[in-house]
Amino acid sequence: MRQLKDAIRGEVVRLTRTRLPLWTLVAAVACGGLLTGLVALTGPENATPPMPGLDTVAGVSGVLSLLGVALFVPALIGTVAITGEYRHRTVATTFLAVPKRGRVLVAKLIAYGGLGLTYGVVLALSAVVGIYAGTSAHGIEAGLDPEAILGTTARYGGAAAIYMLLGVGIGAVARHQLLAIGITLGYFYFMENLMMILPGVNVVYPFLPGGATAALTGSTALLEMIAAEAGVSSPVAQAPLVGALLLLGYALATSALAAAVSLRRDVA
Amino acid sequence: MSAAAAAGVAAERVLSGPTLRAEGLVKSFGPVPALTRVDLVARPGRVTGFIGPNGAGKSTTLRILTGLARADRGTATIDGVPYVGLSSPSRVLGVVGDLAGAHPGMTARGHLQTQAALIGVAGERVEEVLEETGLSSVSRRRVRGFSTGMRQRLALATALLGRPSGLILDEPTNGLDPSGTVWLRRLLRSFADAGGTVLVSSHVLTELQQVIDDLVLVEAGRTLWSGSLSDFTGEHASLEGAYLSMIEKEMACDS
Repeated sequence: MRQLKDAIRGEVVRLTRTRLPLWTLVAAVACGGLLTGLVALTGPENATPPMPGLDTVAGVSGVLSLLGVALFVPALIGTVAITGEYRHRTVATTFLAVPKRGRVLVAKLIAYGGLGLTYGVVLALSAVVGIYAGTSAHGIEAGLDPEAILGTTARYGGAAAIYMLLGVGIGAVARHQLLAIGITLGYFYFMENLMMILPGVNVVYPFLPGGATAALTGSTALLEMIAAEAGVSSPVAQAPLVGALLLLGYALATSALAAAVSLRRDVA
Repeated sequence: MSAAAAAGVAAERVLSGPTLRAEGLVKSFGPVPALTRVDLVARPGRVTGFIGPNGAGKSTTLRILTGLARADRGTATIDGVPYVGLSSPSRVLGVVGDLAGAHPGMTARGHLQTQAALIGVAGERVEEVLEETGLSSVSRRRVRGFSTGMRQRLALATALLGRPSGLILDEPTNGLDPSGTVWLRRLLRSFADAGGTVLVSSHVLTELQQVIDDLVLVEAGRTLWSGSLSDFTGEHASLEGAYLSMIEKEMACDS
């Protein structure tokens, strides 16, 4: 247990001795406050094509759904946890200090989980600020009450934290930084979208990371449409907690795969 | 850095070095055999040189000894225990294996603070090893700006963090200037004289001859010779002469 504590402390110290936490916070504010703030200040009704205004439920929900793009940032940051060690050839030094490689991965998951939570909190709070900056500028009342806005942004924040862990797991499996980035972006931008529209395959979409994310964040309209078309009722599409647990399961599964296979390989 | 002060790093305390032992190591990378049979012992109170031509299997053997690679067959132990089975490995064995062991964006101090935390060593030890390795004045510089010699010193500082009683060094004089080489020689000698175990691999045989007590020679993945330096050199004037003579004989036998 003492060795695990040391490993966690070491990974936290490692994080704080680089500029990664600073850039993570900058990214959270940029994706949360700047993105929602810019759209809110411009006014969604002025977009092309026009979207519902911020004084409607659909308008506020629409702007908050932009936070979906903010989820890839922690996933990409998470991939650096292990791939950075291989890229900069520091992994041998780390494994000499902590020879039990599974312990290194657990320590990184905990350290980066903390960073992911920080990202999520800053993302959520700055998005709230962005929305209210827009409504104040236009002199209107937000279409959603404060609790609902905070709840929605908090769910995106939680999803962001889990995406950080997912990134750590994907990076540990891939070990190569470009490969890990390629897998992350390729899967979420290409594979899931493809699977979502393929007849027959799309019935499993609610159970994939994208579907679980939609359930967690509350953007379930698409899932419900797919589930209805497939003639199935998807529990994932209706329960945010199930979505969160499913996403966590993917993060832990990729990490377990890495600990069992890729991290056991010889270090050059 | 004062070489005399640095040389006193280990001499100030009595060490109880571990016995490093590899028996019957066999290792292949795909179809390419890297080790066909390597046997090696490094004992406390002795500096053991580990020599051989390029590609003979020295680095692979050291990686197996330190748990970074797995042998297909054979055992590699530190006082009878595999490296990965040691409860506090960095307090038993310091390893200098790769110049690029620190993140280029980190400062030397940041790197050592990270390593100290990973092995559960107090932060004050970081200042001590910075002083011992002569890196105090550059401790706030980022590693990407370090020369090869400074990186080598940082690797040594990392190895010394846990106050180990054994040292494994793979080509430690790479990039070191003459004063650094003398400093390292004194450090290894005083470390062994204090009871520590030192296993050092190097191609610089003239340098190695000045510090080692014992020798293990590997060629084409197998141990050709092991024993004391004096037995190896025999009637030859130098380690280099004895080494070249044995390698030439071996190549003549192979052809």
